[in-house]
Amino acid sequence: MRLRGAILLTFLWYLISAFTDLPLPHEVAETFFILLFNSEPVLGKTLVQHAAASLFRVLTASLLAFSIAIPLGIVSAWNRSLTEIVMPMVEALRPIPPLAWIPLAYVIFAPLPNTVQVSQIFIVFVGAFFPCFVSVFDYSRNVPEELLEMARVFRAPERLILRDIVLPHSLQGVMSGVRIGLGVGWMSIIAAEMIATSGEGLGYFILVMYEVGGRTAEIVAGMAMIGTVGYFMNWLLLKAERLVMPWR
Amino acid sequence: MKRLIALAVILAVILTGCQQAGVEKGEIRVVAMSPRDMVEQLKLGEIDAFVAWEPFVSEAVVNGNGKIIATSADIWPNHPCCVVATTEKDNTELVTAIVWAHVKATRFINNPENREKVIRYAMEFTGKSREVIEAAMTRIKFVEYPDEEEFVKYYENLEKGGYLKRSVEELGYESEDDFLQDFLYKEVYEYVNGKLAENESWMPEKVNKTVRIGYLTADLHQLAFYVAIKEGYYEQVGLQVEAKEFANGVMEMEGFKNGEIEVGYLGGAPATLKRINDNIRISIIAGANSEGSAIVAKDVSSIESSIEELAGKKVAIPGFGTVQDFLLRMVAERAGLRITV
Repeated sequence: MRLRGAILLTFLWYLISAFTDLPLPHEVAETFFILLFNSEPVLGKTLVQHAAASLFRVLTASLLAFSIAIPLGIVSAWNRSLTEIVMPMVEALRPIPPLAWIPLAYVIFAPLPNTVQVSQIFIVFVGAFFPCFVSVFDYSRNVPEELLEMARVFRAPERLILRDIVLPHSLQGVMSGVRIGLGVGWMSIIAAEMIATSGEGLGYFILVMYEVGGRTAEIVAGMAMIGTVGYFMNWLLLKAERLVMPWR
Repeated sequence: MKRLIALAVILAVILTGCQQAGVEKGEIRVVAMSPRDMVEQLKLGEIDAFVAWEPFVSEAVVNGNGKIIATSADIWPNHPCCVVATTEKDNTELVTAIVWAHVKATRFINNPENREKVIRYAMEFTGKSREVIEAAMTRIKFVEYPDEEEFVKYYENLEKGGYLKRSVEELGYESEDDFLQDFLYKEVYEYVNGKLAENESWMPEKVNKTVRIGYLTADLHQLAFYVAIKEGYYEQVGLQVEAKEFANGVMEMEGFKNGEIEVGYLGGAPATLKRINDNIRISIIAGANSEGSAIVAKDVSSIESSIEELAGKKVAIPGFGTVQDFLLRMVAERAGLRITV
């Protein structure tokens, strides 16, 4: 079935290419494989190098976001009065798209060296933080009441309840939070790279290829690289999910 | 165990990422930014050097933190730089009027009698101090038509450097000569020049038309455009000018493509590059200047008037495919250095 999907996609692509300036699939594939390990003359870097640069920024920012979002999510789900404080803030900030933070980030981080890079990391942080927080929060919150009641009947200390009941239940939330957070972070970094001069990265690559002109195949190859990296990131995390939670 | 493997994979990815951050020897790291930002960033030490058009070179020098390590005259003597291009080549009346105004303005600039007025116009156009302008003017040659033999080097080097994606045959020309003849459209200039040689006060017929003209941010090379407005040359031939500013020549070519402008002052490199790559049908109807760019490094850095020492340094250019990018690539190639981002 999957193969059929791929064939259909390729067929559609050929069809669209026939009527537009979209380069043919085999041309893109050729460019893609050449640029994967050979540096492209204008920017002097390979696609792998650009992808590594983008990935590095995403991982740094996401790790930062997760290390705050996960504990905060669990604790604020656990403590009702904290929920009252944190949730309105999150609900107010969450609908603001990461890209809307860019101008503000430039202003705030202007005194720091490497303003652009710091801002990009901040934008990915914003992108990764909220989906992760919400997912962790929801799963931690929805611990079955009867389990909690039973623990309390047996006079289990709160610390134990948190460790043995709430944490395992929130694990699913953590895993999917990380997966969704990384996905959103990956989208944010590409977009952030297109707005400012980042020096390297897949978003920047695509933009410069457009500016210099005549490089539609390179643009699509860059997009393919974004898709490939995103796909593998997701795949890796799904695998990891099974490792961490074999009971699911 | 399996968890450890997963962790190792993630760590490996991060480490490769870290390694990319370092600069290899024998490489020049380029970043693109507007010339206005370059002066500031050089002061802050965010970049080690920049390549820009005047008056930003002189500004960095006069303000005491920049040092010229190579002028574009050193790199490529008498190189064509900014040109006047149009998509309306076949509208002879319009082209004649534009070329006439441009030639009049260029002669006005080059006339020593007008020196005081020219400097004042230059200060208004770029917003820089008198000291900066006076230094900058010594490094620019204002011309009326680019040296065609030199101009061809743009085409040749862009092709050699892997910048060009199409051949002139794909654009429907029989040969390179055929293309260049259409691209470097000198006829109107020759006509105007001839008429003016006969009679200095000759003027083409009024066209009574609004024309949208693109130019680059505070680019002193394009002073003729500002002088033509201020001295009323456009008015005299019945042109109402709508000026449109662009950050660099590559962006201005996008303006041509999207029909935002009919005429534009821009660098020869982006004009050639995008004419071919994106088949944006412009022709060059006049020249604006030769030379007038330079590589500037920070005074306190270890760069000492030698290109080799740019290796491992961070150098700013106004954009990929601009004249300044082109000049940097020329020196890098001669010094055996690689350009990367």
